[in-house]
Amino acid sequence: MMHHSLQKAVDTMIRLGAEFCDARSQTVKSIGIQSVNGDIRHLSDKIMSGVCLRAWIGGRWGYYTSTSFRDDETEKAASIAVMNATGAPKGSMELNVADIRKKAKQNVKIHPNNVDMREKVSAVLDADSAQTTDGVLNRIGSYSDEVNDNILINSVGSEIEWEEVRTRFRVMSVASDGGRMERYYAGPDGTKGFELVKSLDIEELGRSTAREAVLTLKAKRAPNGPSCVISDPMISGLLAHEVMGHASEADEVVKRRSFLTDAVGRRVASDAVSMYDDGTVDGAHGTILYDDEGTPASRTAIIENGIYKGYMHTLESASLMNVRPTGNGRAENFGKRIWARMTNTFFGPGDRTLDDLIADTKYGVLCDKMVNGMEDPVGGGFEAKVLRGFLIENGKITDMLRSFTLTGRALEILTTVDAATKKVIFDGGMCGKGIEDWVNVSSGGPYCRSNIIIGGG
Amino acid sequence: MNVNEAAAEALRHAKADHAESYVIMSVTRSAYIDGSRISNIETKTDAGISVRVASGNRLGRACATLNDTSSAGRCAETAVKVSSFSPKNDGFKGYPMPSRPAVSVKDIFDKKIDNITDRELKDLLSAVIGACGCEIPRGILRLSSVRSAIANSNGLLAEHSGTMMYGHFTSMHRGRRNGEGTESLYGTSLSADPERIGGELERKAKESASAEPFAGKEVMTMVLPPCELGDMIISSVGSAVNGENIFYKRSPWTEKMNEKVASDILTIVDDPTVPGPLCSEFDDEGSPATKKVLVENGIFRRSIHDSFIGQSTGNGIRRDPTDAQNVYSAAVSVKPMNLIVSPGRYSLDDIVSQTDNGILVEKFAWPEADPLTGRFGLEVRCGHLIRNGRITETVNNALLMGNMFDALANIELIGRDAVNTGHATVPAMSFSGTELAGN
Repeated sequence: MMHHSLQKAVDTMIRLGAEFCDARSQTVKSIGIQSVNGDIRHLSDKIMSGVCLRAWIGGRWGYYTSTSFRDDETEKAASIAVMNATGAPKGSMELNVADIRKKAKQNVKIHPNNVDMREKVSAVLDADSAQTTDGVLNRIGSYSDEVNDNILINSVGSEIEWEEVRTRFRVMSVASDGGRMERYYAGPDGTKGFELVKSLDIEELGRSTAREAVLTLKAKRAPNGPSCVISDPMISGLLAHEVMGHASEADEVVKRRSFLTDAVGRRVASDAVSMYDDGTVDGAHGTILYDDEGTPASRTAIIENGIYKGYMHTLESASLMNVRPTGNGRAENFGKRIWARMTNTFFGPGDRTLDDLIADTKYGVLCDKMVNGMEDPVGGGFEAKVLRGFLIENGKITDMLRSFTLTGRALEILTTVDAATKKVIFDGGMCGKGIEDWVNVSSGGPYCRSNIIIGGG
Repeated sequence: MNVNEAAAEALRHAKADHAESYVIMSVTRSAYIDGSRISNIETKTDAGISVRVASGNRLGRACATLNDTSSAGRCAETAVKVSSFSPKNDGFKGYPMPSRPAVSVKDIFDKKIDNITDRELKDLLSAVIGACGCEIPRGILRLSSVRSAIANSNGLLAEHSGTMMYGHFTSMHRGRRNGEGTESLYGTSLSADPERIGGELERKAKESASAEPFAGKEVMTMVLPPCELGDMIISSVGSAVNGENIFYKRSPWTEKMNEKVASDILTIVDDPTVPGPLCSEFDDEGSPATKKVLVENGIFRRSIHDSFIGQSTGNGIRRDPTDAQNVYSAAVSVKPMNLIVSPGRYSLDDIVSQTDNGILVEKFAWPEADPLTGRFGLEVRCGHLIRNGRITETVNNALLMGNMFDALANIELIGRDAVNTGHATVPAMSFSGTELAGN
């Protein structure tokens, strides 16, 4: 039924003058559970579904999105999308759209739809209870799963149906010594099913998170100013994402807004730095089968051995730059605009060990987990907030440091990267373009050492 | 099916001791600017429902888009099923009882937004582009008409009709270094002044392009204009007065009621009668919105609540000041409707001229303080150093550090010209004792 309606919408948009068009339906089913101090604070079942019609005429898009899409409304919906394609034309170009007919599902072992809700609730309460210890004020456990079903039909003949599954499990402890408060969190995520939870030692996850939150109460203020910084995989990933990732989204490049415009072939980092965006990483949170324009996910080399290699593309930006689309045209949901967005963005591995890096650092800080970050594609700066860290003096960790912030110029920092460890680890989350349009991504990397401005309140 | 009918239909299907349904329908017209040209134009219709139920103190929630006439009933049945999996929560105090509005809220529906045409939308954006003497690489103007209804098994039925305007623009000045400016708009009426927006975008981008990296470390006064201060106040004060945070003892102002938490010159009210994008006569649980003094002359007077722990102050909010879409999927959380810092008597120029050593922050990467600790370390993307009452240079590439709860006790001056920044309406303010560090 939906296939028929979408095809009818495509046919109608073409008849009304669209040069290219697509029609996409999306149904997202999600379960969210959160406990606080042993009580289930939130338990919800969400289902969100709707359609997005896009018409491309004279180098401009018109959109129509709706939560209600009856077959008898197709004509009207399609005509609104076509009528909306009246912005300023971006010049003559042909979109390089693949013709794909396929059904695909993400490979998960235990589909969340097949797991009893009681088991999910029980896991959250177990994680909550495991955080019980002196000094912990709030024990928070949370679980979410999301099953995202898509159908896309376009005017070049593609008919794609695919399913993405994501699961996340997280614990957070808020500790207090009567005056000061600190928090610590941990937990996995990914394009996985309930096997993600089954593989956990929930008791240990809760206990260790609570212990670390209490320990953080004694953390000292971080030093301020330029410093040698060993970023953990989470902060390395945040740097990859914020420092270079957003500026490598080609829709920023075609407008010449990005400081990486015309950067292909230039040295932008030390030899030790390679960086990729890869929507095909098995199990990572940002992995997709297709982007929201129907382009298959792919691996894009952004930096290799310090040399800038290329950008992440939508259909439109690829056409404007005369390259192949990379599968990075993504929208928050059917109701939102498609932009060039990252998937799994990460620095490649090095050949050192963490112990080796610490022993080799005379004075610096080691980062431990992220809070959030902000990109600066125009200025080439960035802001990355670190949950806590450790002071390194004469090759040894001497103190724990409370939350601090990293900032600096992207290109200056990447030229100072002198070492990285062997293993790349991913961490999932949500990424906004500027301040909205949130999509599932992950970022990661090894431990990396560089010089960055740091400071904390 | 309209919002009332859908809400009633859900209640009929919610076989539970207590039930509540919230329905929201919206039409949004938006247009983007890409590279100083009007780009994607969108028409979006959105309709959704959220149902909460409680049976034997087992709580459950379901939400769904309203795709057809059976969606509301199905959503209610799902909520009942979900609640059966939940352990008992003895903290549940029931959903609100029916009541009359406590305040009169005006200027929340603008026919101009409701009837906006493509041509008018494009003309508005063209005027912004025309008024800005540099590029506008990105911009969005989003205009929404919203109708919502909340109904519960206590017989409550509260309706809301409103309009929303949200805009966000970035400008870019090309030079030896490229500089970026941003402007955001929040409101309930089509009050955008394209000349002013374009002018401000140009000024900010040019000033940003002229910034030089800051070197060294200095303790100085932080001067924040409304656009940078609003989120700093919400992330600190908004979190500290949040009744749920106080209930769980994670607010730094827990057990500080009627104690001094800020400078004598600071008074903060939550006032839904001053126009703002979240203002309405009832909150999103149907409790009457109220005007209340939260901080009076530096003394913490009152916290804000939804219905979760009882004694709702009309602050159970699902809506978002930037977007009318997907509101039904948001959980109720405790938020101010319009957190207002009582203005002082100084212009921004007066504040600068009375500052010996400080920084006027034009643009942070993202203004926020840690809600738990108040700490902040924020990248200054563009700031003006103030020496002896005069702006002497423009800097970037530096971190401004401090603690917002300490800063509230160290207020130097409060400005007179307040601006709505979504959840808050604030003037410019200056705070002593923050630290700036650069390379």
